[in-house]
Amino acid sequence: MVGNGDHQRIEPRASCMLSYWQTQHLCWYVVRRIEPRPHACQDCSDGYMCKTHFQIKSGTMVSHPGTYAGVQTCPPVEEVLEVPLDDAEATETAAASEVIKYEYHVLYSSSYQVPVLYFRASFLDGRPLALKDIWEGVHECYQTRLQQGPWDTITQQLSSDIYWLPLVNFIRQIYQQEHPILGQPFFVLHPCKTNEFMAPVLKNSQKINRNINYITSWLSIVGPVVGLNLPLSYAIATSQDESNAL
Amino acid sequence: MTDDKDVLRDVWFGRIPTCFTLYQDEITEREAEPYYLLLPRVSYLTLVTDKVKKHFQKVMRQEDISEIWFEYEGTPLKWHYPIGLLFDLLASSSALPWNITVHFKSFPEKDLLHCPSKDAIEAHFMSCVKEADALKHKSQVINEMQKKDHKQLWMGLQNDRFDQFWAINRKLMEYPAEENGFRYIPFRIYQTTTERPFIQKLFRPVAADGQPHTLGDLLKEVCPSAIAPEDGERRNQVMIHGIEPMLETPLQWLSEHLSYPDNFLHISIIPKQTE
Repeated sequence: MVGNGDHQRIEPRASCMLSYWQTQHLCWYVVRRIEPRPHACQDCSDGYMCKTHFQIKSGTMVSHPGTYAGVQTCPPVEEVLEVPLDDAEATETAAASEVIKYEYHVLYSSSYQVPVLYFRASFLDGRPLALKDIWEGVHECYQTRLQQGPWDTITQQLSSDIYWLPLVNFIRQIYQQEHPILGQPFFVLHPCKTNEFMAPVLKNSQKINRNINYITSWLSIVGPVVGLNLPLSYAIATSQDESNAL
Repeated sequence: MTDDKDVLRDVWFGRIPTCFTLYQDEITEREAEPYYLLLPRVSYLTLVTDKVKKHFQKVMRQEDISEIWFEYEGTPLKWHYPIGLLFDLLASSSALPWNITVHFKSFPEKDLLHCPSKDAIEAHFMSCVKEADALKHKSQVINEMQKKDHKQLWMGLQNDRFDQFWAINRKLMEYPAEENGFRYIPFRIYQTTTERPFIQKLFRPVAADGQPHTLGDLLKEVCPSAIAPEDGERRNQVMIHGIEPMLETPLQWLSEHLSYPDNFLHISIIPKQTE
């Protein structure tokens, strides 16, 4: 940002401009890398990618033996799907909890020439979650994961409140927008608007020197805040693959 | 040109006579009279209906009131679309006044955005203005403005102040002397017959050979069904602000004079009425 306090100027970072086809390629790449068993991922003729996953939200802090340890309110997706619902332990959890469906769509904005993340969450009966509910459900999960290893330097920096607070406050102010293809209310994350949050990350990374790396890093950092888990180690791996391919 | 500036005023001061009726299943303590209002075409429903809300809430109990929403003939009305667009698209073939039903219960979560405050309308409006400038000027003009200029655009719209609004908006309608127009034209085309809410694509105001593109050129490229068949009886009307501009109208001129305050051309394709 340049200028005095009154004069705010946030320019879209030139390196985050992607062509429509680069975005398509990126989305497929993301899907193949993080989903050994891709589920609920479709492409449509308009070229937007969607990812749906389900999480069980525990009502209270009850500790269970086995998969659900401690305060972990959102275990990784694969584990959730593998827990049979008639299991004795899981029944206790299911009674106190609700299944939440998270949907993430990556669309291409021709106006800004960048991919944009649309997301929403709802209970299985269709009741939508408000943004603060999404944040609260994800926040605890992310905090827990941040305390577990192994994570690289960048992630550890993210765990400090000073970095998180502006991002959290920004996320809290997101308004609903209309999905341009489905016409339904979604929340939207726009890479240019979160530009300022990327600065500390970019300063510390030597690998962010290509368009695709910027977007995967962006998704990896901002995504988990809204429940979309793309491990940062994936972003690093992407850049390694890219340089190996040269 | 004096004539062209008159167009700006005519667009800004366009009004739609509307009759608001409370939904029959809402619980009231006494009979609710309909409420009549002239709605500004260029504004947004939740920005101009405070009086409507107060009028109906007077006959209801506090516990029966939650977020207000509007509906026309069973279709929930998207408050984030300009009023004139909603009318042209859904009700222009019906007799006036426009009959809108008011609801305070059972908010349709899957169809409508919530409107928690005036700030939400401002945020939506400004994001449209910014997107339009991204298309017209790669965001250079909007980003060079101060925050108080952005605020003036919003206040001008909110308070129905044409001069206050255009003092700033005129800068968004300029383009470099060496160019023949904007980089791309901000437009959205709406049809009730399609799944998709609207069509929006990149489209230049001037062709590679320097010829100005017309409204007809735009439609032929991005929505050919709108003007089919080209020779013979047209099936559809192409409407902006309640009028059908000639298809030969230059797109750059339309963008400068018939855009809504959000700087977008919102174009409705509606089936032609058979007499």
